[in-house]
Amino acid sequence: MMLGYIGRRAYHSIISLIGLLTLVFFLTRLTGDPSALYLPLDSSVEAREAFARLNGLDQPIYMQFLHYLQNLLSLDFGQSLRQNRSAIEVALEAFPATLKLAVVAMTLATALAVIVGALAAARPGSTFDRIAGVVSLAGASTPDFWIAIVGILVFAVGLGLLPTSGTGSVLHWIMPIAVLMLRPFGLLVQVVRGTMISALASPYIKTAHAKGMRRSKIIFGHALRNSLLPVITVAGDLATGLINGAVVVETIYGWPGIGKLMIDSIIQRDFTVVQSTILVTAVAIFVVNIAIDLVYVTLDPRIRY
Amino acid sequence: MTDVTLSSVKSSGNIRQLAIYLTRDKLALCAALFLILVIATMLLGPLLVGEVAGKLGLRQRNMPPFSLDNGLIYVLGADTLGRPILARLIVGAQNTLGIAAAAVSCSMAAGGMLGLIAGYSERWYSHVILRLADVIMSFPSLLLALIVLYTLGPSIMNLVIVLAITRMPIFIRTARAEVLELRERMFVSAARSMGASSARILFRHIAPLVLPTLVTIAAIDFATVILAESSLSFLGLGIQPPDFTWGAMVANGRAYLASAWWIAFWPGLAILLTTLSLNILASWARTVADPLQRWRLQSLRKAVR
Amino acid sequence: MAIKSLRIIASTLAVAGFASHATAQTVSEINIVLPEQPANLEPCGTIITNVGQILSRNVVEPLTIIDPTTGQAEPGLATEWTQTDPNTWRLKLREGVTFQDGTPFNAAAVKFSIERMTGGKVTCSNIAKFGAAKLNVTAVDDLTVEIASDTPQPILPTLLSVVMVVSPNTPVDKAVNDPVGTGPFKLASFTPQTVVLESFDGYWGDKPAITKASYVWRPESSIRAAMVETGEADLTPSIAIQDATNPETDFAYLNSETTAIRIDAGFAPLDDVRIRKALNLAIDWEGLAQLFGDDAQRASQMVVAGINGHDDELAPWSFDAEQARALIAEAKAAGVPVDTEIELIGRNGIYPNGTEAMEAMMAMWQDVGLNVKLTMLDVNDWLRYLQKPFPEGRGPNLLQMMHDNNKGDAAFTIPIFYTSSGSYSTVSNTALDKEIADAMAATGSDRTTKFKAIFNKVHDELALDIPMFHMIGYTRVGTRLDWKPDITTNSEIPLANIGLKG
Repeated sequence: MMLGYIGRRAYHSIISLIGLLTLVFFLTRLTGDPSALYLPLDSSVEAREAFARLNGLDQPIYMQFLHYLQNLLSLDFGQSLRQNRSAIEVALEAFPATLKLAVVAMTLATALAVIVGALAAARPGSTFDRIAGVVSLAGASTPDFWIAIVGILVFAVGLGLLPTSGTGSVLHWIMPIAVLMLRPFGLLVQVVRGTMISALASPYIKTAHAKGMRRSKIIFGHALRNSLLPVITVAGDLATGLINGAVVVETIYGWPGIGKLMIDSIIQRDFTVVQSTILVTAVAIFVVNIAIDLVYVTLDPRIRY
Repeated sequence: MTDVTLSSVKSSGNIRQLAIYLTRDKLALCAALFLILVIATMLLGPLLVGEVAGKLGLRQRNMPPFSLDNGLIYVLGADTLGRPILARLIVGAQNTLGIAAAAVSCSMAAGGMLGLIAGYSERWYSHVILRLADVIMSFPSLLLALIVLYTLGPSIMNLVIVLAITRMPIFIRTARAEVLELRERMFVSAARSMGASSARILFRHIAPLVLPTLVTIAAIDFATVILAESSLSFLGLGIQPPDFTWGAMVANGRAYLASAWWIAFWPGLAILLTTLSLNILASWARTVADPLQRWRLQSLRKAVR
Repeated sequence: MAIKSLRIIASTLAVAGFASHATAQTVSEINIVLPEQPANLEPCGTIITNVGQILSRNVVEPLTIIDPTTGQAEPGLATEWTQTDPNTWRLKLREGVTFQDGTPFNAAAVKFSIERMTGGKVTCSNIAKFGAAKLNVTAVDDLTVEIASDTPQPILPTLLSVVMVVSPNTPVDKAVNDPVGTGPFKLASFTPQTVVLESFDGYWGDKPAITKASYVWRPESSIRAAMVETGEADLTPSIAIQDATNPETDFAYLNSETTAIRIDAGFAPLDDVRIRKALNLAIDWEGLAQLFGDDAQRASQMVVAGINGHDDELAPWSFDAEQARALIAEAKAAGVPVDTEIELIGRNGIYPNGTEAMEAMMAMWQDVGLNVKLTMLDVNDWLRYLQKPFPEGRGPNLLQMMHDNNKGDAAFTIPIFYTSSGSYSTVSNTALDKEIADAMAATGSDRTTKFKAIFNKVHDELALDIPMFHMIGYTRVGTRLDWKPDITTNSEIPLANIGLKG
């Protein structure tokens, strides 16, 4: 039955993927002619036309779309205008770096947020709750580039403890992960706290308490499990947000990830790479969403699809 | 007995009751006062300091704060064109809060509605709504902003539309998750057996239970929207000069973090304090609205009316 | 107790950190951090800044080299040249040169490289300098080449400074990311994170002090500056003015870019010379200069000093708001519609503080009574206004722009801006066209005088545009390197010119 569900979702997802790619294909071409961006400003009109011809950009749009679909069937996603190599190769090369960052950041953020949020919910209005609230919100409301650059100035230049940027050693991971974690952590603490407070106020919790169950078991064993549904949803949404856009961190710390690749390609109108990166991230997002739906069923047996 | 609980909600001293609850929670009181101050500056600010905020002062470029040499208005320093930051903070409140409030409320309303429907029914349209959410999640917000701005022109309305669309998926999916759990509860089957229609059950019974989580998310989303607009401004796609928002001020200060930190710091602080206040108030409102938790704000000495 | 353990943890981290980036780097290996990633390493694209800064004169070499101080062509891979007739030049090539893949450098290789550039199967940006000229190359003997064009080419040697000679084994029909040239360094690797160049032992000239160079890229200027400060990088060719705070390591250089506002003279009120002069006079130039730093030079023409045709005596417009208002009043009295809305079109990210400059200038023009509205555009959108054909339905407009000419001669500037058919030109003045045609065909000091006369006429008499500043770039050089930037730094950073101290 589960397999049937996964099958149906996969089928729906493929349809959405095709819809997405069609949408992206037509909409990106509304943003102007890229020939102008790939040649020096003083190129002649003939040079620009030659470039357009060379890259198939001079044909009417429905012809370009047909070629694109034809090529898709043979798994040819086109050439990158900027890099002169296969667009899908460029996208797949950039994906692992972002994936690594996103997975580590989300895991740490969720784990920490659940602990902090649950403890805050156990005693609403207490000092711990207030401080946790303020700190987590501060993290979520501060611009990420601000934290990143100030972090580099303080820890790398000022104190000399960490490298400024780049990849390589474990130390190179510390600041990027810390910066990426802040917004998810902030939002999740609030969501966990909110749902936990509601859960802790329910009658069955009072019963458990009256039965003499240990406090930690009540909080983590019962209340938490029942308030996880919205938490998992929000966490999933944040994770997909990270996959799409760890842009600032990748830009500032020089990680060659898919977020920066996407932004650069969009600005440079490198259509084939835009399409390939969206394809790669969309597949990841659809997989995460299906996984979350399966987790719902595991957590709450009352749910059926 | 039942009369007592009902009348506490409907009595004409409602506002007074809210005010009393507010005074019980000192932090929420501060938050409320701060927000009133912000709203006041939003309304009166442009009248008082509107001109000063736009006046060039190239010789006071990047003037540092905390000196009264050039008058009280320069106490927070000057920006890259020598304009006083304090004046710009006051004038910028209107655009900032207007855009953020419009975007967040639109996406919460639309997303919440769609999520409720998607969670409750199992017909074909609920699947379509979910796939729509997936597609929106996979479509990079920068690309959407570029397309909208390129084809429809850079206006504040278009900016709000872009921001609202990109924030919708989280509301859709969270509302759906909560509904999936709630629709299996006993009160729903009880209502159904009494002959209530689906729409009635959904909007009268389930929606109020989903609302608190949505409001929690919306309160933090306020900051997310302001910061998203800031990133768009950094790339030139946000609000267009000479109009500006706090987010645009922060984006302008990005290149100066090491040399003129105040340009990005003060608007960032304003964003932080506003979001913090909103969240504290949202959490207080959640406590007030939930009958199982209202006791935290009630005095033990007087009897509940 | 807590503080003590914190200190222990911090120092352990520090030691671990240093241990991990103490990958044995010998003294002659350096790290350079660039502002942007090169999209590809196609040798025909070396006029693109981040490609040229890596490849030009390091991996591939040009036929001639422009001397930064005189603007004249000096020998590169070609040692001598003579103009046999107005359309043809004969070049003698350097002896004893080999490509990095072992093939010998000779006339056939030069013919191959030029034909690859002009063949049209590879998108070649460098060829833009040649305009519409058709070239025909013949190998007269192993070390002599004849280049014939269908139009007269008085400055062909200057143009040849963009011809990068590549190995005849290079594919003709696609762009490459692994160029093979004659330069002192060969490409060791190109990944999304770094480009590494290593010494080529078979180089014909002197072996440079540097044996290995690794290039990385960071878009934020404050990070680049920080990297040189901490020693993670040895050199960065571009940081923002506000990060250039250390006079020991930060050096300014004129980067051959001139900023200006182009006036669309085809629309009223901009077709009236009084309004154009008023636009120039209304700007507080000293105030505006604050945005670009003390070293930026006020410009009176679209080329910098050192370019053939630059007139050192030509004085720029000064700030005179009263005079500006008077001119506007005069024009208004004569019936010119001075209240028409003029669109000021800016381009996002065109140069540092570009948007601020536009906001400031708009305010200054509004101050003298003109109706100016600012629109900031994305580069793609802005390009439609920059070049012909211009968009239909546009009104009177002023365009923010920047022009780069480091090829030694005003021929790369004047026609494109001021002739009726010029790609950026909004004027159509037959007398001016004739003057320009004469100057382009002239040679020697006659050429220089004619170009100077044109710049004078454009500035004082016709006020066709609003030249702003000759821009300054800032570099940060680590203390172990001995190097100073010059006007060519925007296009190339020959590693051979970098010395190691101590």
